[in-house]
Amino acid sequence: MNQFFYGLLLLIFLALPPVAHLLESIMIVHMHMQMPMLVIAGFLMARLFQLRFPAFFEKWNGNGIPGIILFLIIVVFWTIPRAMDEALTFPSMEVFKFFSLSILAGIPLRDSWKKLSTIGKNAIIVIFTIKYFGMGLLYIKAPVQLCNNYLIIDQLTLGWGFLTTAICLVIYLLYVTFTDPTKYE
Amino acid sequence: MAIPKTLKEKANKAMGISTEDARITKTYLFVAFMALLVGGLLGLLQGLNRAGLLELPSWLNYYQVLTAHGLLLVLVLTAFFTIGYFYAALSHTLGGLLPIVRKMAWIGFGLKIVGFVFAVIPILRGNASVMYTFYPPMAASPWFYIGLALIVVGVWMCAFGAFIQVANWRKNNKGKHVPILSFFATGVFILLFFGSLPVAIEVIVMIIPWSFGWVKTINVMVARTLFWAFGHTLVNIWYLTAVSAWYVIVPKIIGGKRWSDLLTRIVIIALVIMNITGGFHHQIIDPGISASVKFMHVFMSLAIGFPSLMTAWAMFAVFERTARKNGGKGLVGWYKKMPWGDVRFLAPFIAMLAFIPAGAGGIVQSTNQLNQVVHNTMWVVGHFHLTLGMSVVMTFFGISYWLVPYVSKRVLTPAINKLGVIQTIIWTVGMIIMSGSMHTVGLLGSPRRTSYTTYGDNATALGWDPYLLMLAVGGTLLIIGVLLQVYAVINMMFFAPKGETEFPIAEEEEGASKTPYWTERWGLWIVIMLIFVGMAYVIPLTEFIVNAPPGSPPFKTW
Ligand code: HEM
Ligand SMILES: [Cu+2]
Repeated sequence: MNQFFYGLLLLIFLALPPVAHLLESIMIVHMHMQMPMLVIAGFLMARLFQLRFPAFFEKWNGNGIPGIILFLIIVVFWTIPRAMDEALTFPSMEVFKFFSLSILAGIPLRDSWKKLSTIGKNAIIVIFTIKYFGMGLLYIKAPVQLCNNYLIIDQLTLGWGFLTTAICLVIYLLYVTFTDPTKYE
Repeated sequence: MAIPKTLKEKANKAMGISTEDARITKTYLFVAFMALLVGGLLGLLQGLNRAGLLELPSWLNYYQVLTAHGLLLVLVLTAFFTIGYFYAALSHTLGGLLPIVRKMAWIGFGLKIVGFVFAVIPILRGNASVMYTFYPPMAASPWFYIGLALIVVGVWMCAFGAFIQVANWRKNNKGKHVPILSFFATGVFILLFFGSLPVAIEVIVMIIPWSFGWVKTINVMVARTLFWAFGHTLVNIWYLTAVSAWYVIVPKIIGGKRWSDLLTRIVIIALVIMNITGGFHHQIIDPGISASVKFMHVFMSLAIGFPSLMTAWAMFAVFERTARKNGGKGLVGWYKKMPWGDVRFLAPFIAMLAFIPAGAGGIVQSTNQLNQVVHNTMWVVGHFHLTLGMSVVMTFFGISYWLVPYVSKRVLTPAINKLGVIQTIIWTVGMIIMSGSMHTVGLLGSPRRTSYTTYGDNATALGWDPYLLMLAVGGTLLIIGVLLQVYAVINMMFFAPKGETEFPIAEEEEGASKTPYWTERWGLWIVIMLIFVGMAYVIPLTEFIVNAPPGSPPFKTW
């Protein structure tokens, strides 16, 4: 219950017009800060839904795979330049962004992550690593503006943000591959 | 394997530190306090000069003195003290240092000393009056920077030595939590390593080739940004070191228990993760960063205030609980039960108190509009003499009264304890006077890093004089404090009566909840930290590099 409350609080905070405006005024912050925080808000709120509707999650997301696929679809959708543009242009898209990232991505992520095997978890991280390298190169190499609402320099910054995040993910993967926790734990 | 290991640990705890491990800490502490002595004397010269009482000769001018003062106290004193202290903690809590780790500590020591000599010679010859921040386009002799690079590599040696020591212990103690003081050490050395990477890149990749003239120009904004990623982290390394003593040592000295183990570890992890990104609050006035990005960085900086506030709360809770257990009564009457006559408590306690105004001043400086008023004035100098010169350094002093006897196998005599109490009082009064007048004269506009001048008897500048005189008065008291402190350290190191001194580590409270194992997953915390760093730095760095102005050739401004 507590967690749900903090999640909801975060969601409301992010939806406050000045906050949303500040975060969305910078392309990389829009994609790499506001959106993940929406997912985190949903992740926190998920606890209540899990407790209220255990049967629903058991029936539809027993092994965690449907949930994580829904999460992937939503998150991938929101890294498309056009999707970001539309969120800034159409209020309905903006509402959908807040709803989809918190409810359709954050909640299934929470419900699925624990159910996935280690290989499953690492596979998700590998998918994100590849995707981030790809998106990073796209945003850095694109010779034209991909979003109506953001300048080329914003786009370049976002590209480098993708690449640095991808590098961090590679470091994480190397860490889990080459250290053996059974030696320590 | 496990049994002899624990036996060895028990022996280590019962019989005190091995001579080889003790020699490392003793040597590091000796260098630290020598740096305090020389740095303090230089500080006095500066104070007297700024008061208009002393004109420095042309062969040792104000800016040479200031560069040396900054380097000795910011870099040498703090780095050597931190490493000496935490190596003693690693040795004590993890069953003695491994031979390889000892060797690395000595190699690191050698590199740092050689590096320091490399840096000092150009300063003395007047070829490196660039202050400890060495902002390009001011350019010193290349040897100065090579010296700095060697110091950084020396620090890395010690960091990796600590990592090896901790990893080895964890292998031999599967599933156990790293003892709290070594947990602090892990956090500090992670910050030392990752925090000094940016400055190593600045010095080795950018500045050295430029100061030799191999490349013509330098990107000034990138250099400053890399410097402060390090500089700010260094500040929090001192803070974390001081906090380790507040959390772990001070409760033991007053006969109390440690505050929640879990929350302590969370504070450490939070400080490690969020730290490096705080560097931007030193660049509030810098061009090239948009207002909204600056605003978000201020938010980040103030977020670090949260674990700091937790610290204050925790400490006072511990004090009150202990005092009440010892019969303290009333809403505030319990304070009488604290061991005020024990320098090992008094010095860190005043250090903690100083953190209240120091933290308030820090919040002032993080605020964009207020920063415009105090930026580059003496206010800032007042601020860091309060934070570093009081909160951190007085904690270090307090530690020295048991750590030096501990590694020297001697004891703290009542006479030296008394001397310590007097030293603490003198230092407190001196710092309040000096830093108070620095804050005030800064508000009146007196610039920092400027030797005495009346600007042609300008009325405003003349109005600063009374405060600058007070600054010199405080500085004079402080130098007395320096001399007493160094005397006490030398006495405890070489002349005090032989005996066993305990390494004071407080126990956890009874009935505390069990600390979950995820607190030990440093690999994960480091990756999260790197993601934070990447996020915070990618915006300004892309801007600085893509939209860079023409680079700057080196300048010798002095
Ligand atoms: C005897 C005690 C001390 C005195 C009299 C003293 C005095 C001063 C003065 C007058 C300045 C120069 C202000 C300016 O022109 O900008 C200064 C700068 C500074 N002091 Fe101290 N100080 C003392 C101790 C310390 C200690 C213990 C530390 C730190 C551990 C410290 C760290 C610094 C730093 C970092 C600077 C700035 C250097 C720069 O701007 O490049 N000082 N001090
Ligand atoms: Cu800082």
